[in-house]
Amino acid sequence: MSRGNELPRYSSSREHASGILVAALGSTFGVGLLQATGFLTDLFDTGGGGTLQVALASVALVFILLALYVAAIVTANTFGTIVAGRARSIALLRLVGASAHTLRRSVAREGLRVGAVGAAIGAVAGLAISHTALRIGIATGTLPDVAYRAIDPLIVLPVAMVVLTTWLASHVGSRAVLGVSPLQATGAAEEPAPGDENRHVVRLVFAILLVAGGTGMLALGILLGLVSPAGIIVAFFGGIASFSGVVLGARWILPATLRLVGRLFGRSSPVTLAAANAVRYPERSTRTTVGLVIGVTLVTTFAVAMTSYESFLFSEYPDSAGDPSLTITIAVLGGLIGFSAIIAAVGMVNNLSLSVLQRTRELGLLRALGFTSPQVRRMILAESAQMTIAAAGLGVLLGIGYGWAGAQALLGSLAGATLVLPLVPWPLVAMLIVGTAALAWIASIAPSRRATSVSPLTALAAT
Amino acid sequence: MHTPASDSSPIARLETVSKYFGIGSTTVPALDRVSLGIRRGEFTAIMGPSGSGKSTLMHIMAGLDSPTEGRAWLGDTDITNLGDTELTLLRRRRIGFVFQSFNLVPTLDVRGNVLLPFQLDGRAPTPDESAWIDLLLTSLGLRDRLGHRPHQLSGGQQQRVAIARALGTRPDLVFADEPTGNLDSRTGREVLALLATAAREYGQSIAMVTHDPIAASSADRVIFLADGRIVDDRARSSAEDISRFMLSMERAA
Ligand SMILES: Nc1ncnc2c1ncn2[C@@H]1O[C@H](COP(=O)(O)OP(=O)(O)OP(=O)(O)O)[C@@H](O)[C@H]1O
Ligand SMILES: [Mg+2]
Repeated sequence: MSRGNELPRYSSSREHASGILVAALGSTFGVGLLQATGFLTDLFDTGGGGTLQVALASVALVFILLALYVAAIVTANTFGTIVAGRARSIALLRLVGASAHTLRRSVAREGLRVGAVGAAIGAVAGLAISHTALRIGIATGTLPDVAYRAIDPLIVLPVAMVVLTTWLASHVGSRAVLGVSPLQATGAAEEPAPGDENRHVVRLVFAILLVAGGTGMLALGILLGLVSPAGIIVAFFGGIASFSGVVLGARWILPATLRLVGRLFGRSSPVTLAAANAVRYPERSTRTTVGLVIGVTLVTTFAVAMTSYESFLFSEYPDSAGDPSLTITIAVLGGLIGFSAIIAAVGMVNNLSLSVLQRTRELGLLRALGFTSPQVRRMILAESAQMTIAAAGLGVLLGIGYGWAGAQALLGSLAGATLVLPLVPWPLVAMLIVGTAALAWIASIAPSRRATSVSPLTALAAT
Repeated sequence: MHTPASDSSPIARLETVSKYFGIGSTTVPALDRVSLGIRRGEFTAIMGPSGSGKSTLMHIMAGLDSPTEGRAWLGDTDITNLGDTELTLLRRRRIGFVFQSFNLVPTLDVRGNVLLPFQLDGRAPTPDESAWIDLLLTSLGLRDRLGHRPHQLSGGQQQRVAIARALGTRPDLVFADEPTGNLDSRTGREVLALLATAAREYGQSIAMVTHDPIAASSADRVIFLADGRIVDDRARSSAEDISRFMLSMERAA
């Protein structure tokens, strides 16, 4: 057995690596995209007074906002996980007299630093990538060698937004600090405080109202869509409202989904324990999975809507089949949306790793009581698979629903006022299955290695 | 589960075991050539000042740590050089643990924690074992707590759950490292009385680290450690005798 003397500690750099990475990805994406629109303007907009750039940048901003929205959710949840892991030290500080609000502010300040560092890294990366791509384009003759701008001033926009959203997200995520009671420093049971049940009830009511109202609006949008493409506007807001309800109510929806998925895995002891872990802490599993649900929902919604749109075009205008510009447009838009899913995946991996690492003591106890290393590894893999499958599965289902509703509301009147079945983009589903499996596996690597390299004694002594 | 060895052979044994921590000039000898046999069916108390090596001794006997020098046996099994998996299976099937704190898996309720060793082994308790566990849960006063999770239990109740788990598989040997260290003295005595009863009435072999002379007075045998060596090994003694000896050790130090 290994007997490393190293105590399992999570320095704040390890804790914040994920937050910085997510912020950097968001900023790279934003800066790269705006640089690209700048280059395109230099290429095509010869003396057009900048209208082309305004149009391009506006489209780019939609995707940047989507990516940053996902990044913010992921970051808020990561900070929630970090605070949960620090509950004991926070309780100790509270015990000796620190005020909850001071502690929360200090966590949010960490968020500001994470955002600033990530945004700066992303700005450099985005500039580097955009110029490298430009050089390659020119060198291969794909792009003409005209005078391109070096740095588009608009890139301050995503950089500033990343700093702000990360700060805001860390503030929201650190709300859990307020729920830590000084008593937790003395308790032997590691359990987050049950929290304010009243607030939960209010939240549940809001979630139900949003889902119900939003679904109603979606239905209305679909009906309107049968007579006019403007139905999409009603459906759009219905979609936003109902999805916000799903996100708000995630702590009720996801555990139920996890329970369902957990049944698929059989009843061996690693699996049963993994299922218990996933289900018994609704807050923890929700934090880990909700970002991925959002990412997968976005991608699927887009893909289903596009597939329906394409097939509608082909049936109405058979000439358009195989039109390369349509294919390219869809691929580019898909890639832009896909970036949000990548951010969600990164967040999921880090969140899951963190939350397993925080359970070092529990894993030490299991090892002391007779859990073999392979069993621990299987437990962690089962847990991460269960979470990933539940999140991706829920995302796909929601995405198919939203994508279909969107396509129906937009095209229903044009297609002769009929309802059509949702078109499922099977290549995307296949990609999601592979991606989900890879994600589950990747997310389990670091915690598995940690859990099996530390001796049970060292793990039990961890705080 | 019993090894085929005769009843007079020790259930666990150390032979000139030394344990060093750290490397080079910072080396600390936690155990210094300790030889010891824990007798079958006995309740053995291990005492000594803080840092004297009690936990280290127990960890090595339980296969949680390995000696730097010397050999360790559990029954007839030489566990000195066993691999991680064999040691894990041995802990699972032949040893029970009660730690000072953090004994229970927070996600599992009382029943889940007590049945954990069976679950780890991928089997259900036999009817005979189930009856034994029922008896344990009843006598430990946990009957109406089965669905509770650790954070819903008091410290004493949590330790009783850990005892039920440790005794549930009827292991060869139960190790308890200051099982009452986190409890008030009355609750602590209750918990210890339960361990003593298990040893007396069911012939369960138990080795327990404690600082409490009254607790140690209910043991069949008391072993004193100081600076990694066994300095005394006596049969059942009164709390007064044990206190007196501890005081004399402190004066000598
Ligand atoms: N992992 C370790 N690394 C370095 N030194 C250690 C380690 N574990 C124990 N020691 C040292 O070995 C010696 C014996 O420690 P041990 O924990 O066995 O004492 P103990 O008798 O159980 O004390 P206590 O009553 O305080 O629990 C001490 O000097 C301790 O500092
Ligand atoms: Mg000790």
